[in-house]
Amino acid sequence: MAQTDADQDQLMRLLMKIAQQDRRAFQELYEHIAARMFGLCLRLSGQRELAEEALQDAFIQIWHRAGEYHSDRGAPLSWMMTIARYRTLDLIRARKARQAVSDEDLNELDDGREGPLEFSVRESGAEKLTGCLDELSDVQRDSILLSYYRGFTHEELAQALSSPIGTVKSWIRRGLMALKRCLEQ
Amino acid sequence: MKKTPERIEALAAEFVLGSLRGAARRRFEQWMMESARVRREVWFWEEKLGALAEDVPENQPPASVWKNIERRLWGAQEQPTQAEVRGIGRWFWPSWSLLATAAVLVLAVVMVQQPRPAGEQLSGAIVQANLEDPLWLVSESGAENLLKLRSIAASEAEAGKDYELWVVPEDGQPLSLGVIPAGGVHRVRLSDEAREALSRSRTLAISLEPAGGSPTGAPTGPILHVTKLYSL
Repeated sequence: MAQTDADQDQLMRLLMKIAQQDRRAFQELYEHIAARMFGLCLRLSGQRELAEEALQDAFIQIWHRAGEYHSDRGAPLSWMMTIARYRTLDLIRARKARQAVSDEDLNELDDGREGPLEFSVRESGAEKLTGCLDELSDVQRDSILLSYYRGFTHEELAQALSSPIGTVKSWIRRGLMALKRCLEQ
Repeated sequence: MKKTPERIEALAAEFVLGSLRGAARRRFEQWMMESARVRREVWFWEEKLGALAEDVPENQPPASVWKNIERRLWGAQEQPTQAEVRGIGRWFWPSWSLLATAAVLVLAVVMVQQPRPAGEQLSGAIVQANLEDPLWLVSESGAENLLKLRSIAASEAEAGKDYELWVVPEDGQPLSLGVIPAGGVHRVRLSDEAREALSRSRTLAISLEPAGGSPTGAPTGPILHVTKLYSL
């Protein structure tokens, strides 16, 4: 769902209040974005219990760090989603919770989630990013999306895409640089 | 490894994507603390790749999540109207309005929340949003319980004032580490209590105090900077 400027303004106002320890604003923020954030934590981890813990940790960080937000860090929502995403990745790594990846995982995981490549990025508000992703080769785009949505390591990607690690690394690196050149146009 | 523009560009993208791991990730976090350019590159990717998160379907978390957040932040009492605030809030947040008025916008660069493995050293930077260089770089030399502050871009306190350094514990009042100079390299010996508190909270603050330091043992002036250290 695309974020309108009005939404972002509202989130900005809530963050300012939270920086002044306003608990009602904090609860309002939670009600506003928790479902979206939980969706991301859940997709990344594939585990409800871990996703719930990541969501809790992310909101506790937001409570303490609201005063650190500034506009150079991107839109308020993207800043907060980034906190949740890093926290989820940390927890996944800390617990080595990832299961071994097999080829089937690419399309259907046994937890019933869709494969990362099945849902469309074209319907998002992020047309610019989507347009640039379209310019990448298939393997570059898949490597980047699997890393982003699933937190795959180089090793897991190599296994999932049946390719040597060095090849996967170079897909990611070249893909990201091509993406940047396109985004900067 | 030198921070060439090409390396910053490539590593920032992989840092945000999450494919940069282990020691390389920790080295890059150090770069982020040292350089505004590196931070800006990271923020670029956080915002751009963040657009991907918009596509993920919403999923309502169970009510227990919010209850746990409240419990972890405020303990048993859950009334949001209660004015009481724990720990850092008691003294830091009242100063926020002062900070905002003075437009001294400070940013703590990196927060790493994992437990700290034994034998690792804390380091960090005290930075100000509008300055390219950090004000001070902070590092710990664990063996001697010393904390080293190297001045980079810090400027002298106004006449009749001094900067005072504090450890901000997870709970309770900040512990003074004494007055610090704006220039050169300054070393502070940590008491066992201060080291223990810093090891847990990893948080330092600097306040502006009358010359010679706070007369009361607690911060009296505006809190200019709060920074979170991380372990190397």
